[in-house]
Amino acid sequence: MERKSKYLVLKDRLYTDSDEWVKIDGDIAVVGITDYAQKKLRDIIGVDLPKPDTRVKRGDPVAVVESVKAAADIYAPMDGIISEANERLLDSPELINKDPYGEGWIFKVKLTEKPEGLLEAEKYMEKIGE
Amino acid sequence: MFSTKLRNVEEELGGDFGEFAGWSMPMSYGSYLEEHLAVRNWAAFFDLSHMGRLMIRGKKAEFDYLVAKRTEDANAGKMVGPTAFLTERGTFVDDVMVYVVDGSSWLVVTNAVNREKVINWIRRNSGLEVEDLTFDYAMIAVQGRKVWDFMEKVELQPLNFVLGKEYMGIKTFLLSRSGWTGEDGVEVWAKPEEIEHLLRFLKERGVRPAGLIARDSLRQEMGFVLYGEDIDENTTPIEARYWVFSMEKEFLGREALKEQLRSGVNKLRIGIKLKKGERTIPRRDSKIMLEGQQVGVITSSTYSPYLNRPIGMGYMNTSHFLLGYSVDVEVRGKRLEAKLSDFPLV
Repeated sequence: MERKSKYLVLKDRLYTDSDEWVKIDGDIAVVGITDYAQKKLRDIIGVDLPKPDTRVKRGDPVAVVESVKAAADIYAPMDGIISEANERLLDSPELINKDPYGEGWIFKVKLTEKPEGLLEAEKYMEKIGE
Repeated sequence: MFSTKLRNVEEELGGDFGEFAGWSMPMSYGSYLEEHLAVRNWAAFFDLSHMGRLMIRGKKAEFDYLVAKRTEDANAGKMVGPTAFLTERGTFVDDVMVYVVDGSSWLVVTNAVNREKVINWIRRNSGLEVEDLTFDYAMIAVQGRKVWDFMEKVELQPLNFVLGKEYMGIKTFLLSRSGWTGEDGVEVWAKPEEIEHLLRFLKERGVRPAGLIARDSLRQEMGFVLYGEDIDENTTPIEARYWVFSMEKEFLGREALKEQLRSGVNKLRIGIKLKKGERTIPRRDSKIMLEGQQVGVITSSTYSPYLNRPIGMGYMNTSHFLLGYSVDVEVRGKRLEAKLSDFPLV
């Protein structure tokens, strides 16, 4: 666990340029938004979740995280099939603020090929360090 | 970009800064939802140092002609407002608060976004002298349902002010009993270093620091308009149902308003409340729909933690100004049920 300025970045997972995190376990990838992203959005009021069994391509907008500031699209970080969405967020979207890397996960993707183009923690820290 | 001179103390208190109207200001201190509720339940303070603050001196008749509301019978120490400076078309140059200092000087608080425009407009339309005090003093509001549990009680009626008073251990330039949240409280203008002391003291006393996002959600619950969102140079006070003018006096823009009162208006400002538990927030320019046609448009919206639902305001075609009726608001292809409501929404 390391801190770059005010934002938490975990070393046990990968990141996207659009501020999602990805934790890969076998052929399942868990996806959420980073501490940086949740702090930029501030209080999260609601989410739109993807439907399980939907086929997604890397870069597709698949979920929406809604705050007073903006409705932010969350993109699929890789090709695959949505295997699960975190339905607890429907009633408790603030879990994304409280625990962005844990209980605030958003969806899971069953990988259909090897993910590409994801950033290591160090690179992501550089990116948000600006 | 300008920056509040209270930045150091606000960073110490956990302020999260963002840009508003060309100023770097605290947007929240972690959670606007909690800050909002602190005002409705206890008390919070806001940094308002971005607000334009002008001292105007000159002939009373000239000043009076610029202001849409009666000021001539207001005594020194009274605030007149909200009122407005209007164009000849009767639309908003700015909505402002006027403080009557004496028979030939007034303080005016403008929206941050309009400060320079207002200075130029006053100079163009009168021989009045304008002094910009915005960068000389910091300004805060302390607001809340229990504000007097935290603050020294002021000997002021609502919308009254006093200059040069000592208050809670600091030397103020101006102390008024006013705000923009629907709760009681004070607004204080003073040198930044004086206000810094006060903020630290207030924080110790349990007054919550609050940012501009909470200020925005509080004003929306009350139905207060924000310049640039809900009113602008294409909107009149009649369309906004914002009673900031007095037809019994002469003022710039009066003829246009008189004509509009005669002919009627095509749009009127209205509030909306979504259903409890709804978690999609309408956005500016979201369409208000009825029977498959657009009958209005959203200008401001937020999520009210007090009502546990999204709320907002916008303009309806007058043909469909159906207070109390439920319509749809279109957001990202979704149709959300919204009840047309009058202000305040709480």
